[in-house]
Amino acid sequence: MTQYITYILSPLVALVWVLIATPATRAIAVKLRLTDQPNARKVHSQPIPLVGGILIFAATLLSLLIQVAWVSDWNTMYVLFNGSLLLLITGVIDDKIDVRATYKLAIQIALAWFVYASGIHIESLYGLFGIYAIPTYVQGLLTMLIIVGVVNAFNLTDGIDGLAGGLALIGLIAYSLLACYLGKYDLLVLFLALSGALVGFLRFNFSQANKIFMGDAGSLFLGYIMVVSGIVLLQTAENTANNSVTVATVIGVLALPVIDSLRVYRGRIKAGYSPFRADRTHFHHLVLSLGVKHHVATVFIVFAALCILGFTVIFGSLFSLTLTLVLLLLLFSIMSSILNLNMSVNTWRNKIRKLEEL
Amino acid sequence: MALSTIVFKTYNMHMKKKVAIIGTVGLPANYGGFETLAEHLVKNLHQEYDLSVYCSGKKYAKGNRPSSYLGAKLHYLPLEANGIQSIPYDTLSILHALFYADVLLILGVAGAWMIPFVRLFTNKKVIVSIDGIEWKRDKWSRLAKAFLFWSEGIAVKYSHIDISDNESIQDYTAMRYGSLSRIIEYGADHTLQVKPTSEDKAEFPFLKLLYAFKVCRIEPENNVGTVLEAFSQLPKYTLVIVGNWKNSAYGIALREQYKAFSNLILLDPIYDQRTLDALRGNAMVYIHGHSAGGTNPSLVEAMYLGLPVLAYGVSYNRTTTEHKALYFKDGNDLKWLIENTSVPELKALGETMGAVAQRRYTWKRIAEHYRLLIIEALSVKNKGQVMPDTQKINNSTLLDMDLGHLIHQQGFFEKRQ
Repeated sequence: MTQYITYILSPLVALVWVLIATPATRAIAVKLRLTDQPNARKVHSQPIPLVGGILIFAATLLSLLIQVAWVSDWNTMYVLFNGSLLLLITGVIDDKIDVRATYKLAIQIALAWFVYASGIHIESLYGLFGIYAIPTYVQGLLTMLIIVGVVNAFNLTDGIDGLAGGLALIGLIAYSLLACYLGKYDLLVLFLALSGALVGFLRFNFSQANKIFMGDAGSLFLGYIMVVSGIVLLQTAENTANNSVTVATVIGVLALPVIDSLRVYRGRIKAGYSPFRADRTHFHHLVLSLGVKHHVATVFIVFAALCILGFTVIFGSLFSLTLTLVLLLLLFSIMSSILNLNMSVNTWRNKIRKLEEL
Repeated sequence: MALSTIVFKTYNMHMKKKVAIIGTVGLPANYGGFETLAEHLVKNLHQEYDLSVYCSGKKYAKGNRPSSYLGAKLHYLPLEANGIQSIPYDTLSILHALFYADVLLILGVAGAWMIPFVRLFTNKKVIVSIDGIEWKRDKWSRLAKAFLFWSEGIAVKYSHIDISDNESIQDYTAMRYGSLSRIIEYGADHTLQVKPTSEDKAEFPFLKLLYAFKVCRIEPENNVGTVLEAFSQLPKYTLVIVGNWKNSAYGIALREQYKAFSNLILLDPIYDQRTLDALRGNAMVYIHGHSAGGTNPSLVEAMYLGLPVLAYGVSYNRTTTEHKALYFKDGNDLKWLIENTSVPELKALGETMGAVAQRRYTWKRIAEHYRLLIIEALSVKNKGQVMPDTQKINNSTLLDMDLGHLIHQQGFFEKRQ
């Protein structure tokens, strides 16, 4: 019985913490200038406090400290906590004074190595492309690649209000169901607490008067939690009957940010730029160029992510995972091609307007 | 054997090349710019080429479908030539033309998605006229815009020759596709110099006055509202606008708003060429408010009638009038021009416009351009690029050959920016 109270209490406590602590934290952030300054690429005109990440982290931690007794897998918790803290600190420094992309990448690679060394890793391709077992060094490389890739992919989604938070929230809810199903109750408590904190964050993120951003700090650490706990869930389900539904869920949760980040990197490299050069080609920019308001774009993308998740889980557990992934890529490329076309129409319309004035 | 080969070859040489004209509503022309163009191409080129024109069965009733017109074969399709049906209309026309034609002259880009397949599987030559910058026009939905934008790209990239109707559009195709578009405008010598009769004057009493004239579709992109507002503040000057006022909420609202002004005369569309020319040919000044991309047939026609032109100052109108007309950016500009241009100045401007049109906008000249393009299309294998091939040589090689100056070549379209 007490167990169930924990599941209700952990998100509630985290939520209440965020709601209580945000106003004061905002004020401190403004004083310390931990804010996002308006510039040409940004839509807001006032500096916005970048404290969402710190608040989500702190509120979740405080909520979890009440129920430490439920932790059974200390190694995982240890890896999740240390990595999150490291990325949070990196992120805060990055939010305050821009850190060079190569340094950030180096930190992420080192962290990914630490995760792998702690025994959390991809052990197989789970039948994807017909491959199951893979050599140890491939396991290591793949684990690190996926961790660094997902962390950065999540970072890139943080472009409009509620998007990174919304995507993380539906991912965490899906993970919660999965954790419950697989009997990983300590992870379940963590996911629920994080979800509660995210709901609190989203309330301020969408607010006009008391707006906060999660900053790189938030998006990096949330991406880290999503990918590492995803791998833990995969390891838990391996060689059980729940294997395929677990793989499908984890892919479904991470698909949209990852596929889109690959698309963005490809576009930048094709145009002859560094893949880390900031631009306005992310999925949310494409959706915004339809002329919709920011919150509509957020709802649209989160809904798209939900559809992708649903599709992947249903298709992936019923049919071949490879086929599902191919269809997913096809679906996504059709959607982004149409949006891209719409964006080029806008770009050329503006160019022609200039030509017409001659 | 040898003799029959010679006979066959001689016969082949004298056989007329077959050209299919695709993408118009049909002939005889009752509708827009492309149909008038097709009619004059048929009139001028039917002796040289074996022409076929595709017509919309929706616009030509069953009993009224001749199989040929002025020597051109007519093919009817049971589809509309405009709107969403233009996609299957053009597609089926292209497919049908593949059975016999040597050259496909495609007017508009609705069926452009077929062109890559035509190129891949056949030897047919494809000439496309992209018709202004259609995808930019406000009347299309977002999806239609994206489709037209994409189709335009396909049309320009995969055709043997692409045609723009205006210099400013040539700049755009050069910038976006690196293609050298050929500019062919429209003719206007089908318009008539009409002296109004007493019946005309009875029907249209304003013919006795000095008046400004404008004929266009009643759409925001033609600046109808701006022109009306300017003239509503100039009660001494009469303005006549002919257009489809009843077709849109915009038109109905404008007519309602300005019906009380006695100097504003808003007429429904006039389909009779003589009546229309009687009204516009005798105007004091022609107001051209079109802002959409391309050379507008109505402007060319007004110029041919020797009317002084006050045009909206977009690049298309400036190039059509060779920068010699008077231009306005807004209602205040227009008001200023009306109040500060003297009658002798207007007369001189009318003569200038007439001279430009006599020189450039006759169907004989336009048809001659098409004739030459068809010859060229029959002889080319691939499309040429707008920038010279020296651009493909890397800089160090150019320097080694003492051709360093070629590194910084600029296209005409870059200089015009």
